[in-house]
Amino acid sequence: MNSKVCARTRWAALWAGVALVLAGTLVFPLLAAPARVGTPYRIGFIASVTGPGSSLGTPERDVARLVQDRLNREGGIAGPDGVRHEVQILINDDQSRADVAASLARRLIEQDQVHVLVGTTLSGPSLAIVPIATELRTPNISMASARAIIEDPATKRMRTWIFKPVPENLHSAAKQAEYLKAVRIDRVCHLYENTAYGQDTFASAKQEFPKAGIRILYGDSFDRFATEFPQVTRVRASGCQAVVIGSIPPAAAVITVAVAGRVGPRKIVHGHGACSPDLIRTAGQAAEGTVMPCGKILVADQLPANDPVRRVNLELIAEYARVSGGQPISTFAGHAYDALQWALLGLRAVPDGQPLARIRELARDGIERIRNYVGTHGVMNLSPEDHLGFDPKDFVIVTVQGGRFVLLPPDRWK
Amino acid sequence: MTARAWARTWFLAAAAVAGVGVVELAWPGTVARLTRSLVSTDLLIRAGLFTVVLVGLNLLMGYAGQASLGQAAFYGLGAFASAIFTVRAQALGIPASVAGAWWWPWLVMLLAAVAVGAFALAVGWVILRLRGHYLAMATLGLGIIVYIVLRENLGMPHLNLTGGFDGIVGVPRLRVGGAELWPVQVYYFVVWAAALASMALGLNVVHSPAGRALRALHGSELAAESVGVDVGRLKAQIFALSAALASVAGSLYAHFQAAVVPDTFGFVPSLELVVMSAVGGMSSIWGAPLGALAVLLLEQLLRTHVLGLVPAVSGELEPVVFGLMLVVIMMFWPAGLVSSRRVQGAGWASR
Amino acid sequence: MRSVAEPATTELPARTVPGPRGPAARAPAARRLSSRGVLGTASAVLLLVFWALGRRLGYGLSEYLQLLVDGTVTGSVYALVAVGFVVVYRVTGVINFAQGAFVMLGPMLAITFFRTLGGSGGLALAAAAAAAVLATALVATAVHRLTLHPARAASALTRIIITVGVYIALQGLALRVWGPRPYVMPAFSTLHMADRFLEVGGVTLQAQSLWVWGVGLLTVGGLVVFFEHTLVGKAMRACAVNRTAARLMGIQVDRMATLAFALAGVLGAVGGIVLAPSTRPTYDMGLDLGLKGFVAAIAGGLVSLPGAVAGGLVLGVLESLWAGVTVAGFKDLFAFVMLILLLLSRPQGWLEGGHE
Repeated sequence: MNSKVCARTRWAALWAGVALVLAGTLVFPLLAAPARVGTPYRIGFIASVTGPGSSLGTPERDVARLVQDRLNREGGIAGPDGVRHEVQILINDDQSRADVAASLARRLIEQDQVHVLVGTTLSGPSLAIVPIATELRTPNISMASARAIIEDPATKRMRTWIFKPVPENLHSAAKQAEYLKAVRIDRVCHLYENTAYGQDTFASAKQEFPKAGIRILYGDSFDRFATEFPQVTRVRASGCQAVVIGSIPPAAAVITVAVAGRVGPRKIVHGHGACSPDLIRTAGQAAEGTVMPCGKILVADQLPANDPVRRVNLELIAEYARVSGGQPISTFAGHAYDALQWALLGLRAVPDGQPLARIRELARDGIERIRNYVGTHGVMNLSPEDHLGFDPKDFVIVTVQGGRFVLLPPDRWK
Repeated sequence: MTARAWARTWFLAAAAVAGVGVVELAWPGTVARLTRSLVSTDLLIRAGLFTVVLVGLNLLMGYAGQASLGQAAFYGLGAFASAIFTVRAQALGIPASVAGAWWWPWLVMLLAAVAVGAFALAVGWVILRLRGHYLAMATLGLGIIVYIVLRENLGMPHLNLTGGFDGIVGVPRLRVGGAELWPVQVYYFVVWAAALASMALGLNVVHSPAGRALRALHGSELAAESVGVDVGRLKAQIFALSAALASVAGSLYAHFQAAVVPDTFGFVPSLELVVMSAVGGMSSIWGAPLGALAVLLLEQLLRTHVLGLVPAVSGELEPVVFGLMLVVIMMFWPAGLVSSRRVQGAGWASR
Repeated sequence: MRSVAEPATTELPARTVPGPRGPAARAPAARRLSSRGVLGTASAVLLLVFWALGRRLGYGLSEYLQLLVDGTVTGSVYALVAVGFVVVYRVTGVINFAQGAFVMLGPMLAITFFRTLGGSGGLALAAAAAAAVLATALVATAVHRLTLHPARAASALTRIIITVGVYIALQGLALRVWGPRPYVMPAFSTLHMADRFLEVGGVTLQAQSLWVWGVGLLTVGGLVVFFEHTLVGKAMRACAVNRTAARLMGIQVDRMATLAFALAGVLGAVGGIVLAPSTRPTYDMGLDLGLKGFVAAIAGGLVSLPGAVAGGLVLGVLESLWAGVTVAGFKDLFAFVMLILLLLSRPQGWLEGGHE
């Protein structure tokens, strides 16, 4: 009768509906599917946001945020097989302390299972991370400058798992020597702040200057909190033609003021630690005419148009100003950017579907194979024998003129 | 606590420590998972290292009532001794067969503790005649002097014994026979064995005639002397003991971290030790592990949990919250988390 | 030189505690005897080292004079900080580790206020400085009322740790507000970053040094007047001598304690502000200055104002002299060693706990 026919129809309709839905759920994803999404990558990022290293670590932290924003906008990175991977940067503060850095490194690698570790700001804490990254077989890219971070001082060989894009005081000293020789200065005084950085600038100067025939008539350290400088009287008495200073702001500014004010017309040459807008801001007039070897990022807008580094830096500077609330760029921000880009390049070399340990290995290999990386400080090439990849020719001599950093090409050295 | 009571508590504590260690050994990362990343083996090891130092500090400050604002220096001396005599053994003329032997780092640890203890004894003889704040300042000065000497490469940069500002990297792991006491889940047992041993030592001292003499000393040096306590000698001995304990902890730390940096042993770390001691309760040996754990947990809590809520201001606010928490803790637990009724008015500055 | 054969008992105040007799009594005197010899020899050796190092550098009278003068400048700032420690300690028994934070807040606030007032002109600078001192005093008052006053029954050590917590919090807050960058305060004489240099009898001075001395003298003089000739000041001194008696006389001891903190805030801020043009104030400048002030306060006895001033000046001069002859890293070491020797050579008459 009517109800029996209706019931059967209803059943048929129901089964047809179910079949359609099932078909739809199977077919639709295949039709609308984008590229396959791979395992999300995690980068552990450690910087000294608080503590004595905070003036270096804060810009680095800001750059990490900048890079994370960019990754979010672009949907992560793509591996060699075209699979997209979301990338998360876990930002941490080691408070400028070696213990905290070590604890954070272990935690990030073991518990958060990061694929690459980027950190940290200062040399001491970076050295504390080295044994941990090595033991737990995770690539580590440091933002500190000490040679011992990437090179075992006993065997003089590169540490397998450790990299850094930060040039060393040896490069800086060599550039200073080149400049001094070109302007025909062969007798200098060397004042350095009594910190790891300052002492290393002096050691580097003692190694590099004699090669260019430059004599250090008087070398002495000063306390970075000092307001009076007995060293200045001895500079006066020594008869040197130029004063080389190994210090970072604000100490660099205070001693520059003391030297400029009390020692009379003499060339002042800084190291690359003074390549910071803080120097100009806190030394004022005394900084005018001082020269220093700097990374190209500081004078990006003055680089020749065909320099590939120029474009990278200008983009970074613009974005950085947005993230940091208007702060001018510093070289430390550049180092953080390069370190993170290396991490991403390493991860880009990893095909999808690998276990954690293998991802770390392949990322490490990828980082070691980086060639012609256009970074903030120059074009870098890594290899198993060179985990720094910095070409000393990429340092430029910069001077302070009219309250700005101005590029000084060799034909204008005097 | 009576002797039997503290022994029982100690055994319970040892059982708990061992239990956690076994769980971590079998299933690494369990503790971290259970506590949502708050507690890790790394944190427990660091707490154990500080416990060894704090036992000595509590005996010195809480029981004997002598200030010490330079304790981190002894910690540092032990750490650097272990680092120098293993990593720089060649430069010191120690034959490779000795320096590479498994028992060598242990011997260095022992000798360093003895040497640091002797050094403290000698220095203590002279400075412990100072009272109260003068003693505090003298220990502060001593701590800073040791730190400067370590940081400046002992004044001999060409030898590069202490590595200057950057310190020494590559300190080897401890071994027994051929077996390495590693990874961290294994080293946990080494450190906590030392921590429990030092606690037992401390409890023993406290419940012995020497302990009573110490408390008498704290109450009034004059009165103690008048009942025949050799005040000067006792103070120097406790000072030496606390230094030796700190040295052992330092050595264990060096083999744990594999890198020793002078900045870890300056004035601020010494102050942090005093803070841990006060938070835990300096007039109790049990205050040592509790103070260490409480402060480390607080720091970790701030790092991973609280600040995650407000990412825009993360990082810089950590010290603010930590400072405020410290204030709150001392306001509500003025005698520390474990306050002993036996010793009133904890500390060298009591009024 | 005091007589060597003094037994322990005669140096004690008039209490009728029976002195130790027997071996224990003889041993301390004998140890003091030899330790005095040790101290004397150590001091002599250090002085010899100093002279030898100076000779090697060819130092003459004018160089030593320069170092001395330089030392009194930083020493004056240390003295101001030390006096802040002493004022708080005498009235409350607390060693205020937050003092360094006050030294930092003074210049940082002054620079911020100066900027909002336009950033130029002597009047604006003076107004900004005054406002900063006032603000720091308010912060110090708040610190006392909110944290130390409620905890006033706790042991001194507990209260000291509270001040440590306060320091950490204040420095952290400063980092948040001002960032890690260094700031600039114009020199008072030129109202500009660059200061004037003066040559007086072979010694070179920054003009700011005159300000440091002048402000230091005025401040300490003002304090002396305050403590000697005003009712409030005398009331504070009464609290320092004996709290119970003061309370019985109707003095509100707790208010005096808060006032002591406010005063410490003023002293710290003034010290920081007057030093600021020679350095570049940063959020963490308080740690080093606070520590030096603390050391100076203790070296001067922690209980007397003139002692604190002397302690500050001595520390500053010692630091400067040693900085002149040896490597920068070691100047603190030698300064501390000499300070400890100074401490050890003091008469043994200090009471337990070192307060009155």
